[in-house]
Amino acid sequence: MYRLRFHGRGGQGIKTAGRILGTAFFRAGFEVQDAPRYGAERRGAPIFAYVRAARRPIGERGIIRRPDLVAVADDTLVTIPAAGVLAGVAPHTVLLLSSSTPAEVWRERLQLPGLLLTLPLGEVWEAAAVRFLGATLAGAAARLVGVIPREALVEAIAEELAHLGPSLTTENQVRALAAFDLLAEHAGCVSEGPEPSAAAYEPPRWVELAPEGADLAAPAIHLPATSEAVPTGLWRVVRPLVDRSRCRRCAWICSTLCPDGTISVDGDGFPVIDYQHCKGCLVCAASCPARAIRVVPERQAARVG
Amino acid sequence: MQVTAPGRALLTGNAAAAWAARLARVDYVPAFPITPQTEIIETLSAWIDAGELDCRLVTMESEHAMVAAAGAAAVTGVRVFTATSSQGLLYALEMLYAVAGWRAPLVLVNVSRGLAAPITLEPDHNDVLAARDTGFLQIHCATCQEVLDSVLMAFRLAEDPRVRLPVIVNQDGFYLSFTREPVELPDPEAAAGFVGPFDPGTLRFRASAPLSQGVAVLGGGPYSYFRYEMHLAAQAALSVYDEIAAEFAATFGRRPPPVEAYRLEDADYAFYMTGSFATRAKEAVDCLRQAGWRIGLVRPRLLRPLPEARLRELLAGKKAVAVIDQNLSLGKGGVLYAELASALYGHRGAPLLVSFIGGLGGRDLPPEEFFAMAGVLKAAAHEGAAPPPRLLFTAEELEEVHRLRAIAGAERARLKESP
Amino acid sequence: MRDKKPSFPKPLPSTHLLGTGTPMCAGCGGLQVLHEIYDLLGPKTVFVNAAGCLTLLAVYPFTPFRGGWLYTAMAAAPAGAQGVRDALDILVRQGRLPPEENLEVVALTGDGAAYGMGLSATSSAIERGLDFLYLCYDNEGYGNTGQQYSEATPHAARTATSGGPRGFMGYKKDLFAIWAAHRPAYAATVAGAEMLDLARKAEKAKSLRGPRLILALAPCPTGWDFDPQDTVEIGRLAVKTGIWPLKEYVDGRVVHTKIPRPRLPVEEYLKRQGRFAHLFEPVRQEELLKEIQAQVDAYWARVES
Repeated sequence: MYRLRFHGRGGQGIKTAGRILGTAFFRAGFEVQDAPRYGAERRGAPIFAYVRAARRPIGERGIIRRPDLVAVADDTLVTIPAAGVLAGVAPHTVLLLSSSTPAEVWRERLQLPGLLLTLPLGEVWEAAAVRFLGATLAGAAARLVGVIPREALVEAIAEELAHLGPSLTTENQVRALAAFDLLAEHAGCVSEGPEPSAAAYEPPRWVELAPEGADLAAPAIHLPATSEAVPTGLWRVVRPLVDRSRCRRCAWICSTLCPDGTISVDGDGFPVIDYQHCKGCLVCAASCPARAIRVVPERQAARVG
Repeated sequence: MQVTAPGRALLTGNAAAAWAARLARVDYVPAFPITPQTEIIETLSAWIDAGELDCRLVTMESEHAMVAAAGAAAVTGVRVFTATSSQGLLYALEMLYAVAGWRAPLVLVNVSRGLAAPITLEPDHNDVLAARDTGFLQIHCATCQEVLDSVLMAFRLAEDPRVRLPVIVNQDGFYLSFTREPVELPDPEAAAGFVGPFDPGTLRFRASAPLSQGVAVLGGGPYSYFRYEMHLAAQAALSVYDEIAAEFAATFGRRPPPVEAYRLEDADYAFYMTGSFATRAKEAVDCLRQAGWRIGLVRPRLLRPLPEARLRELLAGKKAVAVIDQNLSLGKGGVLYAELASALYGHRGAPLLVSFIGGLGGRDLPPEEFFAMAGVLKAAAHEGAAPPPRLLFTAEELEEVHRLRAIAGAERARLKESP
Repeated sequence: MRDKKPSFPKPLPSTHLLGTGTPMCAGCGGLQVLHEIYDLLGPKTVFVNAAGCLTLLAVYPFTPFRGGWLYTAMAAAPAGAQGVRDALDILVRQGRLPPEENLEVVALTGDGAAYGMGLSATSSAIERGLDFLYLCYDNEGYGNTGQQYSEATPHAARTATSGGPRGFMGYKKDLFAIWAAHRPAYAATVAGAEMLDLARKAEKAKSLRGPRLILALAPCPTGWDFDPQDTVEIGRLAVKTGIWPLKEYVDGRVVHTKIPRPRLPVEEYLKRQGRFAHLFEPVRQEELLKEIQAQVDAYWARVES
């Protein structure tokens, strides 16, 4: 059985990628299971989708623990443990990153035993690229498994994206086929991973749960603002920067309007943005009467910073 | 009749419930009227208006709201009592699960009544059994005295830090709720001393202690943990109950058991049931014993947690047990039967179980039916196999239904529809 | 122009009370309103919440609140508020809670609960004279489940369950008028974008006792389909076009706190949101646009007569 996972952020076409690949497998004669997985988080937050495909009916369900392929739409997610991109990555797992950073750099950085490939699709924050990300990733994944014919991919896109109309469907097909062709030399590099063995397995470490009393064992939180431990700044793909030379220090406008309350005011009356938590909505930049808040792509900002 | 504690007085089940709430010095009663419960809140309201009870009673607009307010007040730090019945309990069902999850220690008296449709005012146990899996503990009463005693004990049980779960005390509509019988009213000081002051623990709202309550969880792991902890707390209530019962006995001289066993020691056969008709079963046991039968009664008062070990101990070695369900899980059968069967299955000396469905919608359970059920038990023991479940329903009753059906025009309507 | 300091009701906080790191969408109008109002109410509050987007503010073990929070159920927030308020009053009266430990009780719900499932509980809480503040973040649909139409959805809006050529065929329920008919202590409409108006109303609400409503328009980038940075602009346009009148009910009278003069055409508001795109493309639905404009005109004609 093939077990494949797509990772990205809400709004990057992850669910679409899963469905296109699922349908392509199905058209190629496989039994298929595909599903997206959302948490409580919303647009911009990490999500994933998964696809199983086999030549027999599939009984396995739920999230994929040992993926054969992990395809990532947004390389900023790789190093976020909560995003779970690298969860269960085994020696046979192929990692495909949509990234402008070269594959060698990633290999050096991550030190993973398996094959690591990149797909240079341009910066994710470019709206044009994002629109086709799902189909592009599906095309790339289809080539890497090596058992999906071109026609199955083309038909799957037509089926899954029919609601977008003919011209957008065609554009998606073009992008997906470009990725499909680009990875020709790696066709079939994804292999079906080992099946669970009842003869040799790691037993679960079951425990006897003890009663611990309601004060401890109720879903109640006894400290203030513990949410500040959650780095929602990782959602950000663009960064607002305060230009102090233009800022009129009215401060209350951006600080009050920031939905997440991430803008405080320093002793001199300048706004200070908490990048640990700023989600990059840009309400501040759009609302600044002095136009003193610039917007730069997060990668560029990170390099500058 | 003006009743004042302490002493022996004629009280209905509803009055006994109200008296227990008063003796427990409850702070807060969110309420909503429904037959046959309404007397409870009317009685409490009258005491409050007369200045005899220092308590706030608020009539809400529904039982859903009533239980929401009850749970919210309990986790804010006051002692809460409330009561409902039948459709009301079902309307509140979402909140029963919710407030149990908050670990809100409140006491709710349910006055059992059959569920619509067809709508009826008379009792059976489908309402309270619908709340079986909510996290509320359940004590089922057979007498008005038990209603009073159980409510007092329920506050101790709910508020015990090892338990801290809400409790339903169940009594049958009409047969207890509106029925007067002698009830021993405890001395108010002794009752207050027994129940003790309300200790909210750390789950309460105040300015100096931030608290986010009833929050969401992500993932099956934390969810399993919190839910199973509720289950463990409910199970812990078994031993806590025994402690409380011992203290209750020392204070008041009565010891309501988790499971009542009547004339069981040398018995070959037993009746197994809950609720007020169990006193009829006891009368039947006495008659049968006079006729030479070795038969007794087992009556669980605690249904959640279910005292399974105690039930196994009591029933081991019996030849056959008649499980009388005043409820019906449609498409399966009696709920008590299924639960007792699962408690006994695979254990040495487990008796044959024979399932009887009776008492639906307040239907009577006359002595002759107990005698006849005993006969079925003996035959089953002789055969070594239990017969299929039996609805307690007579030819006379069927004739009566046919007569009513004729008036309703059902046959005529069918004839008209026929080609 | 900004040299003149705005007349803010109290010194501006240099940081905000509501914790950062919540899982709300980037640019969330509901979160914006909540964080603005929380600064004014202060930490001595207990929020009683009903099912909606903001339910996920507190996900174990993370909470953004510094005071109290209780999640109830979709229909039950006002009833939960009743229980908390009554219990606090009992505790203070009995001397078991020092007055300085007392809390303001705030029901916090979306429009689904406020206009629909929880309206019976709300009506009854007002009737009982419950001393509480009801804060509704109105994003005009069941946002948490993907923006299906609710009783607060405006005429012609496309939602996940009103995708036809004319959008939602119903009309937005007038919750403010329903509250006013109950003769509460206070009721006001606000918009997060209109901070000063909101701040004044929140202060007013805080100074009164009894049932009080703050009904906040909560522009929703995800559900209304606009770029998150436009959250403030959309809110301002709702006010400037007269679609969202800013008003308050106090002492038996309804007073409009901001009369837009001149009023912008409703199109200026509608055309910025994907949920109304079908009114302009592929063909302009003149009849629907006229109907919406006429309704707004009629409203203001009544106000100004």
